[in-house]
Amino acid sequence: MNVLLALVFILLSVGVYLLMSMLYKRYRLPVLLPALTATFTLVVLLLGLHISYETYMIGGEWINRLLGPAVVSLAYPLYKQRHVLWQNLPAVLGGTFTGLLVGMFSGLLLALWFGFSKMYVLSVLPKSITTAVAIQISGNLGGDASLTSVFVMIAGFTGAIGGPYIIKLFRIRGESGIGIGLGTASHALGTAKALEYGERAVSMSSVAMTVSAIVGSIVGPVAAWMLYH
Amino acid sequence: MKIIRIIVQIGVLYVFFLAGEFLQKQLQLPVPGSIVGLLLLFALLLLKIVPVKMIEEGSSFILAYLPMFFIPATAGIMNHLDMFSGRGLLLIGILVVSSVITMAVTAHSSEWIASRSKALGNRRTFVPLIRSKKEKEA
Repeated sequence: MNVLLALVFILLSVGVYLLMSMLYKRYRLPVLLPALTATFTLVVLLLGLHISYETYMIGGEWINRLLGPAVVSLAYPLYKQRHVLWQNLPAVLGGTFTGLLVGMFSGLLLALWFGFSKMYVLSVLPKSITTAVAIQISGNLGGDASLTSVFVMIAGFTGAIGGPYIIKLFRIRGESGIGIGLGTASHALGTAKALEYGERAVSMSSVAMTVSAIVGSIVGPVAAWMLYH
Repeated sequence: MKIIRIIVQIGVLYVFFLAGEFLQKQLQLPVPGSIVGLLLLFALLLLKIVPVKMIEEGSSFILAYLPMFFIPATAGIMNHLDMFSGRGLLLIGILVVSSVITMAVTAHSSEWIASRSKALGNRRTFVPLIRSKKEKEA
């Protein structure tokens, strides 16, 4: 029974995704980003059919398990673009580090300014970092890991959907800058978006995502300590 | 035949992921296993220990469908629908504004550093902090 259920949910997820990416390819509107529309459709379907997330994950988990090797596979564009990477190393590292600090402190200060409690502030803090790392940071600091995973998603969709508008509004020109910006602000969802701007953008984005995960896991606790010590 | 190669190569990527998880646990690293696996694979590719051919097709396949692998995780938002009402909306606004600022600042600071390091490399002399407009265009 569970095997059948798993199969149904896997096929449902894949089917919804393929349908939504066809729609996206046809109209090319940033708001039709498949990661967003497929999630939305799936959530509406599950809520409508009164299926809990836990039940869905009997199948969903199998796709989720491929997220690990999917992150590993980013080593490939990184390797192909290694020469560009070495040439631009100061720019990649400097940009990512600056962006990470700006991301953490802007979220933190805004949340404090609007009077959110310590638990919320600490859950907002690691939002620009990839989920797996962000929930660890948040949990260790005294934030709420499941809230953080939603915040990380919102940060991800901001870059993945808003990216094209942000690029225009702030006149970002270089492919490297676009990639580093997407990876630092919107982690893996931003990196998936960077695929649309070319190989250089993806590899820059995956470097930025990786560097901000590593640096963030060190800077995050320091920032929290400064604030609440 | 190509399908089999893709499946086997995804298996190879999976092994790197597992190795990353193992190293992360053994060495108590603060970063997740998947990122450790990425760095490990990148290092072995650079050292030519792992030939690119071994992961090329599998990686390209996964990358083509990358957004699909996030869907089960992102669907978890259905357990947090209260985020989309009341003060939750304010929080969403904060997250969006902060992310927009982050992306813009990151992109511009990295391009600024890139243009400065280029200028430094070309001249190998003192570069004034404020350059004239003419220099910037050059």
